Amino acid sequence: MNRFILSCLTFATATLLTAQPSFEAPPPPTAPVQDAGQRHEAYLKRVDEVLDWRAGRIDITQPDKHLDMAAIAVLLTRGEHYDVCSQRVIEMMKDPGTGPFWMFPAVCVAYTGRDKLTPEAQKAIREAWRTTRQLRGDTENHWVMYYSSLYLMADLYPNEPAETWYSGKCSAENLAEARGYLLHWMDDLTTSVGQGEYNPSHYIGEYAIPMLFLATWAKDPEMRIRGRMMLDWLFAELAANTLNGVLRGPNSRTDEGSVIERWNALTSYFSWLLFGNTPTPSGYGGWGVYFAPVAKNYMVPEVIYRIATDRSGDYVQRDRARTRRYWRYSDVLSPPVYKINYLRRDYAVGSIQGIVNDAIQGHAWDVTWAEPDPRGKHNTMFSLHPHSSMRAMQSQFATFPEAMITAVTFEGKPSYDSPDKVLGASSYEKIFQDLDTVIALYDIAPGTRFEHINGFFSKDLFNVSEDKSGWIFAQGGRTYLAYRPLAPYHWIPYLHYSGGWAKEKLPLGGRLLVSPHLKNGTIVQAASVDEFADFAAFQAAIRALPLKYSLESVPSVTMQTLRGKQVTFTYGEAPVIDGKPLDYSKWKLFEGPYLNAEVGGRKMTITHGRLQRVLDFNTLTITDHVTK
Amino acid sequence: MPAKTLLLALLLAGTAQAAAPAYDFFICANINRNYVIGSKITTLNGVYQRTDAGEWRHIGYNDTGITAVAFDPRNHNVSYTTAMNGLWRTLDGGQHWRMCNSWDMTEGRDVAVDPNAPDHVYVALTDGVAVSTDRGQTLVRRENGLPARGKYTQAIKVDRTRAGRVLAACEIGIYLTEDGAQNWRQVLPTKETVNDVQQSPHDPKLWLAITQSAGAWISRDGGVTWSNLPGVPADRALYNVTFDVTNPQRFAIGSWAKGVLTSEDGGKTWQTRNAGLPEGHCVWRVGVDPAGRLYASVVKETLYVSDDFGRTWKKDALEGSLVNSFLILPRAAK
Repeated sequence: MNRFILSCLTFATATLLTAQPSFEAPPPPTAPVQDAGQRHEAYLKRVDEVLDWRAGRIDITQPDKHLDMAAIAVLLTRGEHYDVCSQRVIEMMKDPGTGPFWMFPAVCVAYTGRDKLTPEAQKAIREAWRTTRQLRGDTENHWVMYYSSLYLMADLYPNEPAETWYSGKCSAENLAEARGYLLHWMDDLTTSVGQGEYNPSHYIGEYAIPMLFLATWAKDPEMRIRGRMMLDWLFAELAANTLNGVLRGPNSRTDEGSVIERWNALTSYFSWLLFGNTPTPSGYGGWGVYFAPVAKNYMVPEVIYRIATDRSGDYVQRDRARTRRYWRYSDVLSPPVYKINYLRRDYAVGSIQGIVNDAIQGHAWDVTWAEPDPRGKHNTMFSLHPHSSMRAMQSQFATFPEAMITAVTFEGKPSYDSPDKVLGASSYEKIFQDLDTVIALYDIAPGTRFEHINGFFSKDLFNVSEDKSGWIFAQGGRTYLAYRPLAPYHWIPYLHYSGGWAKEKLPLGGRLLVSPHLKNGTIVQAASVDEFADFAAFQAAIRALPLKYSLESVPSVTMQTLRGKQVTFTYGEAPVIDGKPLDYSKWKLFEGPYLNAEVGGRKMTITHGRLQRVLDFNTLTITDHVTK
Repeated sequence: MPAKTLLLALLLAGTAQAAAPAYDFFICANINRNYVIGSKITTLNGVYQRTDAGEWRHIGYNDTGITAVAFDPRNHNVSYTTAMNGLWRTLDGGQHWRMCNSWDMTEGRDVAVDPNAPDHVYVALTDGVAVSTDRGQTLVRRENGLPARGKYTQAIKVDRTRAGRVLAACEIGIYLTEDGAQNWRQVLPTKETVNDVQQSPHDPKLWLAITQSAGAWISRDGGVTWSNLPGVPADRALYNVTFDVTNPQRFAIGSWAKGVLTSEDGGKTWQTRNAGLPEGHCVWRVGVDPAGRLYASVVKETLYVSDDFGRTWKKDALEGSLVNSFLILPRAAK
């Protein structure tokens, strides 16, 4: 076909296909699709929707403006415009990026184009891996992307000498180094002592995409099955921590947008793609597009699909994970953290106990409620100490004290040093959770930046009342909520940093409860509307709960929870439940009705009803069972 | 990211004026504001050499995270840099580089070559110390005697008087090895990180160290015993310390909070030298060139230079730079 005509046709087609059907349409049904064939067909259709949308945004007559590496990978996958893609690749490789966020897109193009791009274009890609130094980064997701990419490029170009690689190491050395890290990450870390970036709202893509690439393209069948097993591992954790496809509970790392609008995260893209039970975020999550060209090589197993979509009742998932690396000020490099998530039909309550996982992007606890259409809804309630700390920065980064706080606010985390922030974790916050009761206590040292706590009250709450009892009552969706501030407070409007590079704050609605007291606390109780005759009955039940607390010396709460537990929680001490101290050291890697794994076991058992899948990294086997 | 003042004593014996042309002066500069992992590097970062014409000439590769550079004294075409990836080495004057470490080491903070055993390279890491005995071809950890925790190592310096004698500035103090890092012992305990340690170019027994929260320290016996320098403030972090190769009595300290501190009487008294520096005087590093000119890298500003040891300042080049280290060393034949 004449290239001009082809271009015109493509442009005309593009204008027709720029819609995002699953972003713009009403939310999909959340009930499971029973027929396996229909499920598979629907999955493939969603994959094609992503590819169609991305291809539809391309004006092929303007490749310099429209062809980034995602677009090229999509076109190559669809079998379109090889010549234009090749020329554009040659141009782009003259000025390569540095680091894992450039590496894995480049790998995607290299593999999707290995039998489609011109030899000159393939040579340009290869040359870029000689000339441009790749920075490995300083976080776990950086390293997984970096080493997955290096592994696959060394795999693609074996037996090449050291001087042809930016690392100065030959193909075999690069492959061995990359393999060494990937096996360490899989065997010694993730499947033994837990992920360092568990429940990430966005970083799931930085793990899932490289794992899919390994599962698809690695020559070594061991690495392929490892990639596939890690995908199951990641998506099983995602499934078990979602409610109607929306990620719930605490996050190792997240951002302001996903903290308040829980659906608006890359995890929702994966829920949509794999489970079909929530709308996809705008633009299919951005990075999510890189999953699509290869997505048809993976199909989430039925047992995981059903965990996400087919819930028979309430459940608690208790997991152990670990923090990011503490270079200083800790007795342990990556101390354990203990995650609890209580999921019910109408809401979820989740928290992290233990040490601060990530000072900048951690989100330690919240109550989130289900919304029929989660888009634009700020369906969450929580409090936090908005901490900004040189010491915290020095704990986890190789930096001097003063510089990092300023730098980080310019590097995609604009709220870090803001007193009204709703993101980040503080060492002055200690949390207890049992089912749908959360007690968060604060003992902030004088002079700390900042000397108050923030409670988030969403624009989407209704029937909010400040009761004479001291409780604040509210309703979110089909969830009754009771929030008890333990110290005096005032209200300010909530202002939102929209995006990592935002310079201004937006008035999206909602407000912050600001309590400017060093010794402080929050108690939250949640219940479903179905459990009480009406809202008044819920309020009466809350008021009747025996509750004593003290902020003198050390904050301490003794109370009976809505579920009848007798709890004493004192800041810095093990919580006592019905007379027994809670012993976190006995927590397993995963423990719940759906996911189970022992610490150090390298094995996860995924269960739903009669279905069971065992991922065993000791033997590199995937075993499926169906009980009779 | 300490200042580097690697000097060979014998070659420094002459007067400053006579010695100046015989030395090379390098900096490791990060000029790329707002770079984060994944974004494109749009400026030229890395090692710069001061030319005889007084300009800064970029050498080597473009990396936003270079913290230090060290050269093989036998041949300056062999050099080492520490950066976020770890340790890099070139054997051919920067045409080709090798990442010396594997995945089990990261974020190199400092690097030093043993002048009496130039195949031996010492690397300061966020979680300890690594050593190469084959010019960086292989790296191993040598941490016997270092604490299990508290071994975050910010700076590492080789005593030029004896092979295998090395001081490491760690999270909980200064550690000394006298056998090529086979064994370490603590010689100065601190509560928080020792941010720099330097050996005098005039007196090899004289060492200075600065810390995050315990001020500055001096040793007159080769780093075995240390005493506090009372004239230096201890309430805020000090970032680096340097000697003046032209004058044994002159020391300088850089600090974000304190700016530039200088002594011209061998550390007995100290003066603040911030007049003429930008408001806030957030100094990242200080260094002294072979002619005795004092430099201050000011955060988000530029490199400043003083011809009178801090009494007056003027802007130098490298707008927007952060200098992570200064290095002065005898010009080599190769």
